Amino acid sequence: MALLEPEFGLLFWMLLVFLLMVGVLAKYAWPVILKSMEARAAFIEQGVAYTQEAIERKERAEEEAKSLVAEAKKRQFELLEEARKAKQEMVAEARQAALDEAQKVLETAKLSVEQMKREAESQLRREVGKLSLEIAEKVIRKDLDSDAAQQEMVEKFLNEMEQAN
Amino acid sequence: MRISFRYISLLAGMLLLAAGTLRAEEEKATFNPKELVFAHLGDEYGWSIALPGGKHVAIPLPVIVRSRESGWYLFSSSRLEHGAGYAGFRIAPEGPHAGKIVEMNADGQERRPLDLSVTKNVLAVVITALVLLSVLFPLVRWYKHNPLRAPKGLLGFLEKIIEMVYAEVIVPVLGKEARKFGPYLLTLFFFIFFSNLLGLMVVFPGGANVTGNLSVTLALALCTFVVVNVSGSKKYWRETFWPEVPAWLKFPIPLMPLIELFGVLTKPLSLMIRLFANMLAGHLIMLVLVSLIFVFGMMGAVAQGGSALLSVLFALFMGLLDVLICFIQAYVFMILSTIFIALAREK
Repeated sequence: MALLEPEFGLLFWMLLVFLLMVGVLAKYAWPVILKSMEARAAFIEQGVAYTQEAIERKERAEEEAKSLVAEAKKRQFELLEEARKAKQEMVAEARQAALDEAQKVLETAKLSVEQMKREAESQLRREVGKLSLEIAEKVIRKDLDSDAAQQEMVEKFLNEMEQAN
Repeated sequence: MRISFRYISLLAGMLLLAAGTLRAEEEKATFNPKELVFAHLGDEYGWSIALPGGKHVAIPLPVIVRSRESGWYLFSSSRLEHGAGYAGFRIAPEGPHAGKIVEMNADGQERRPLDLSVTKNVLAVVITALVLLSVLFPLVRWYKHNPLRAPKGLLGFLEKIIEMVYAEVIVPVLGKEARKFGPYLLTLFFFIFFSNLLGLMVVFPGGANVTGNLSVTLALALCTFVVVNVSGSKKYWRETFWPEVPAWLKFPIPLMPLIELFGVLTKPLSLMIRLFANMLAGHLIMLVLVSLIFVFGMMGAVAQGGSALLSVLFALFMGLLDVLICFIQAYVFMILSTIFIALAREK
C-alpha cells in the first residue's frame, strides 16, 4: 500500500527543512525566549522575596520605633524626677549653707564683742587706776614717796576690790 | 446551547442545499470513495484545489528527478497533468508505482527515477516552517524590546504553550540539561503541532496530510533516534549491550543484548507509527464521513439529505476531537522524546 511506503524525496526534504528549522530556531529563537522567560521568572521571584523582606523590615522598624519612643518617654520621666530631686537637694543645701554662714558670722561677732568688752574692761581698769592714783596722789601727796610704791598699792587695792566683787 | 443548535441547523441546511446541487454532477460520474480518500491522504505532484462548480485548479510545483540514464531534470508539475509525459517521465496511472513519476528504461519497463520533487507535502512542510518562523520571531523581537515584560495577546498565548512544554515537561525531566536539549524538543513539538493544525485546514495553505505521512514521521523519529543515541551515556550503552542479568542470558547467546537493541529501535519506531496512525486516522475519518454524503447521494435526494445532516454533525464532532488530538499527539511525541533522551543520559 502506497501509504505505508516511505518516500525518499519527501524524507529528504522533510529532514532538510526540519533540521534547518532546528538549527535556525536553536540559534536565534529558543535561547532568547527561554532566557527571557527564565529571567522574568527569576525577576518576579526576587521581587516577591524583596517585598516580603521589605514588609518584615518595616514591621521590625515600626516595633523598634515603638520601643525607642517608650524608652525615651521613660528616660524623660527619669530625668525630670532627677532634676526635681536635684533642685530640692540644692535648695536644702543652700539653706544649710546660709544657716552655717549665719552661725559663723554670729560667733565671730560674739567673739569680737567679748574681746572688745575685755579690752574695754582692761582699759577702764587702767583709767580707773590712773584716776584713782591721781586722786589719791592729790589727797595724800605727802604720804607716799615714790610712784612705784604707790602704784603697787593701788593695784593691791584694786585686786582686793575685784575679789570682793 | 440554543445558539449553537441554531448554527448547526443553519449549517446543515446549507449543506443540504449544496448537496442537492452537487448531486447533479456526481450523478454522471460514478463516485469512487476509495480513490478519492486515498488521493487526499497521499501525496501529489501539483497541489490540486477543488473550486465551486466542479472545477479543479492545480498549483504547479517543481519536479526534480534524476534519470538513471540522462541525469537531472527540473520542470513544472503542470507538464505531467492528465497523464501527459515529459522527457520520458510520466505519472504512473496504475501498477506498483501508481501516482508516482516513472520513466521507461531500455527494456520498456517502468522504473522510478531518483525523485526529489517538491510535492504537495514538501510544500506543506515548508509552509509549516514559515508559519512557525513568523510566529516565533515576533516573540523573540518582543523579548529583545521588552526584556522583563510578559507578552500579551497571541504572543502571550504562545508563551504559555512554550512554558507548558519547557517548564513543565522538559525541565522536570531533563533537569540541568534542559537548556541543551530544550531547543530541539521545542522545535519538534511546535513543528508537529503546527503541521497537525494546518492539516485540519480544508483549503490551500493547509489540508495536506503531512504528519499522517510515514515519510514525515519517519524523519522526525529518525531525528529523535539520532539525538538519543548520540547523547547516550556510558551507562546507557552498558545497559544495552551488557545489562545486569544472569550471565547465561548474555553468553554464549546474547539474548538480553538483542532484546535491548531491539528496544533501542522500537522506541523511535513507536513514535513514528503513533503519530502517523493518529493523524492518518483523523484525516481518514473526516474524508469518509464527507464521502458518505456522496455515496448515499447515489440513492436519491432523501437519503442524501439525511446522510448529509448526520455526516456533517459527526464530521464537526470529529473535527473538534481532531483539534485535541493534534495537540495531544505533538505533546506525546515531545514527552516521549524527552523521556528517551533522559533515559539515555542517565549516569
